[in-house]
Amino acid sequence: MNNTALRMQHSHAGPVCILSVGGRIDSGNAADLLDRLNGLLSSGEKTILLDLKEVLYLTSAAFRVLLVASDEAERNAARMVLCGLAGQVRELFEMGGLLEAFTVHGSREDALARL
Amino acid sequence: MARPPGLLYSVDETPPRAVFIVAGLQQVALMSNSLIYPIILGREAHLSADRLLDFVSVSMLALGVGTLLLCARSRFIGSGYLCPAAYTQIYLGPSLSAAQIGGLPLVFGMTLIAGILQTAIAPVLRRVRFLLPPEIAGLVIAVVGLSIAVLGVRYSLIGAANGATTSEYLAIAVVSLMTMVILNVWTKGYLRMFCVLLGMAVGYGASAALGILDFSAANPSGGLPLLRFPSLYLLQWRFDASLIAPFAIVAVAGTLHLMGNISTAQRINDAEWVRPNFISLSRGLFGNGIASIISAMIGSLGINSYSSSIGLSVATGIASRSIAYIISMAFALLSLVPAAAVVFATIPAPVIGAAMFFTAAFVFTSGLQMITARLLDSRKIIVIGFSFAMAVIADVSHDLLSQAPLLLHPILDNALVLGTFSAVLLNLFMRIGVRQRVTIKLDAGHVNRDTIERFLTEQGGRWGARRDIINRAIFGVVQLLEVVGDVPEGTEIEASFDEFNLDVRVRYKGATLMIPERKPTPREIIASEEGERVLAGYLLRQSADRINCKTSGTMAEVQLHYDH
Repeated sequence: MNNTALRMQHSHAGPVCILSVGGRIDSGNAADLLDRLNGLLSSGEKTILLDLKEVLYLTSAAFRVLLVASDEAERNAARMVLCGLAGQVRELFEMGGLLEAFTVHGSREDALARL
Repeated sequence: MARPPGLLYSVDETPPRAVFIVAGLQQVALMSNSLIYPIILGREAHLSADRLLDFVSVSMLALGVGTLLLCARSRFIGSGYLCPAAYTQIYLGPSLSAAQIGGLPLVFGMTLIAGILQTAIAPVLRRVRFLLPPEIAGLVIAVVGLSIAVLGVRYSLIGAANGATTSEYLAIAVVSLMTMVILNVWTKGYLRMFCVLLGMAVGYGASAALGILDFSAANPSGGLPLLRFPSLYLLQWRFDASLIAPFAIVAVAGTLHLMGNISTAQRINDAEWVRPNFISLSRGLFGNGIASIISAMIGSLGINSYSSSIGLSVATGIASRSIAYIISMAFALLSLVPAAAVVFATIPAPVIGAAMFFTAAFVFTSGLQMITARLLDSRKIIVIGFSFAMAVIADVSHDLLSQAPLLLHPILDNALVLGTFSAVLLNLFMRIGVRQRVTIKLDAGHVNRDTIERFLTEQGGRWGARRDIINRAIFGVVQLLEVVGDVPEGTEIEASFDEFNLDVRVRYKGATLMIPERKPTPREIIASEEGERVLAGYLLRQSADRINCKTSGTMAEVQLHYDH
């Protein structure tokens, strides 16, 4: 299997829905991520933890999807939190000045302890 | 220059007085291990205890002067880093041969020639830097660590003498080593900073308890005066044309060894270190050459830098250049105290072994980190793997290699030299066919990210480019093509590389790209796809070190430049 292909898997830790994402997120697959996030919100999830630890890189299309989903969560009285930002992915968030636009925690364990 | 975590005193900082003095003495204790080489040579030259004492005292003086010249920071001489001097195995083989042929005067004369050669290489060092790219420098440093570890084991286990058994040697080495490890890992402050000194003291105590300290070998029959100027009666110089080649090889091998050590010293002071600073290397080499000349002039062996001292800097976090001054002063003073020469000459072998084995770990790891920071294709893997194996062979099959002609002994006798020569030669050979500028044409249609990633990753491996820079370039090209939309017919990517620059040009049919100065707000990005395009342009500008856009007829070109 191509390890750069987008991978998504969700699980639950109490009331928190954890969506683990891996591979690259770009214009070719960003819509798949948006569909998945919208699906989780539609099913009534109120707290979504998006774990980006396995993401290799993401482009502007991915950033837009994350912002749109976060906005959608707010409108549904839910919240979307990010964790596992490291290396180049974290650098890209910093470059775009987008760290402030999201609630970001260090590791998944850190995030779960605070949610 | 970013401060690495764990570094307590960087090159330009001066520690508080107490730390300054004890850290200097710790280095002196460690460096004195290298006096074993003049002692071996003195014994092979059948010097009496009196003369041996003079020889060791003069050698200490040369270490003091050498440390000053290697570490100084000036326009002409000195690396500018804490890179103390030492006697190394590199000079030992040819020096022993010279001693057999013409006694110590021939050793001094030929050392003088090796020193002069190093001062001649120093000004042109920058021009031959392609011989030692960073991944090869990393290999050299890893092999330095490996060879110190091997020497450490030899001292600890082999050659048990003075009535001691191998198990007693092993016990002393283990006690000494464990003290160093425990203090370094599980303590803080002074205990951690002086772990090697304390470990050596514990080992010395254990040796005394087991009764294997022997002061007689370096203790003259008439007793020891408190102070004494070392006699320079040994001073004569002879030359022999047949030894020019081995000593020339020694000069080159010593140069590579020094480059590895100074590169490590640079690296431990800078978390963002990516390649050796050749100005510092060149001045350090000049200092090394002058140090060897002075050493030969006053009657001692050739000098080089001490890998264990660099390892000690990593282990303790003390890399302050100012420590060099106290080392120099201490050795100058100790050369006048015969008792010091006796103490240094009788440091038990397993204590020396433990200190070497401990510091080797830090040097070795530093080298590995330098290697893995680069992308490696099969050419680079062969260069590094084969050369590492050659270094191991030099130690494991030493007896076999010793049958080679004398001329080759300086290369074959030493793991570091053999490994480095192998790396330099193989690297030159493997450069054949590697183009510095490559182009790929993309199929029209959707952006094929796999093709772009494969192209840049494979090429980065051939060039030995930094992994992080290649990743930025991949992001840049993919992001750029996403903005362009479907890939037009005739789109091509050209990548060119030298050690300092990576340039990627993307040519496509279409309008030129608008690169915004302003960062879009989250609201603008959400509002429309135009917001996303503005973000894409902004990310491109931020991720590349320079970006240029131009058009020619129907073709547009975007050049992404990355400092390497």
